[in-house]
Amino acid sequence: MERMKILNNEEIKIIERKEIPKGTVMLFGFPDVGLVGVIAASHLISELGLEEVAYVDSKLLPPIIVLHEGLPHSPIRIFGNHNILLAVSETALQGELIYPIMHALIDWGKSKEVKMMISISGIPVQDRQDLEELKVFAAASDQNTLKMAEDKGVEILREGYMVGPQAVMLQYCATLGLPAITLLAQCFFQYPDPEAAAKVLEQLANFTGVKVDVSKLLEKGEEIRLKARDMMKRTQQELARMRKTQEYDIPLYIT
Amino acid sequence: MSEESFKRRRSIFDLIDEYFESLEAWAERVTESLLERPSWNCRTCTIEPLRDVMVTSDEVIVTVDLPYAEQNTIQVKPVGKDMIEVSAKMRRKVSFDDFGITHHRGEFQRFHCRTKIPVPVYMDRMEIRFKRGILEIRLPRKHEYEIPIE
Repeated sequence: MERMKILNNEEIKIIERKEIPKGTVMLFGFPDVGLVGVIAASHLISELGLEEVAYVDSKLLPPIIVLHEGLPHSPIRIFGNHNILLAVSETALQGELIYPIMHALIDWGKSKEVKMMISISGIPVQDRQDLEELKVFAAASDQNTLKMAEDKGVEILREGYMVGPQAVMLQYCATLGLPAITLLAQCFFQYPDPEAAAKVLEQLANFTGVKVDVSKLLEKGEEIRLKARDMMKRTQQELARMRKTQEYDIPLYIT
Repeated sequence: MSEESFKRRRSIFDLIDEYFESLEAWAERVTESLLERPSWNCRTCTIEPLRDVMVTSDEVIVTVDLPYAEQNTIQVKPVGKDMIEVSAKMRRKVSFDDFGITHHRGEFQRFHCRTKIPVPVYMDRMEIRFKRGILEIRLPRKHEYEIPIE
């Protein structure tokens, strides 16, 4: 049963279906390179038995619903338990929607006194096929959070460009003074990468204290890659439009 | 000729810019419309795999994602001078039921796709490897002419 409606702004509504606990960690798993965030989010939902607690409703979104057991669901939903909230999208987001959607979700999270925002995604590497051990990198919204990541042994993404939902999250959280971190596992650019999703989940446990068994994710790797083909194809189109390959660029810093 | 009517007349550079912009938009629409089709074919019982083409200075690298593919059944065939065809048998049959889909019927046990090679290459010198379920095809580029630097 829908409990209440929160109007974040004129254009995007976040509709709560359950009571939302305060003071949790909020995670974001959105379609991006290697679908790392979505695969990791999907695994978290099934392993932790997370329930849908809210969803995004907006006329800005394309006219898409996701049918589960014959019933309509928003493609962007928030799952959770008493420890974590997890925003996940089952459809590739168009570049122009990323700002309003991320701002609305972060404003909503702030109203729930979320103590930290964490985006889980991937960072593409050209020689991914030959990498045996994948690294996870981090970038943060402020110096303290960055130090916390460093203390937990995560390599820091010191220089470079970031494109996509995690870029908007870091910038907006920095503006609002909210601690936020992006965890990025090395991955394929254009193919679903369950191994990278497992790697990012292992690292995520250091920040949330919530450990999940990733063995099933690795065992079902081929099945996941097969199932995720269509979503990856749509995501590739959106990544091309938002110039995702800029993440390979070497920036010219203006000091 | 008044100044107003002179302003309205666009320069040749504006016209060229507009032409290229419309060409680019058209190419994008064509590419998208080509992609707008199911990634499976019930008639041929095949699945179209994800793939990518990268052009470097001396070769074209095509990669194809082939989960469940049986390595010894992978076939790569040149089709003319600028296309390759990839097919592979899967270790297990996959049906729509496996994906929770009940409104379509069909079983698949093969991957199949054709990929256009954007620049001239030596088809007879292709190198192939299969690692982590990803097929990698390397084709040396044919440089038909070179402009000498004085």
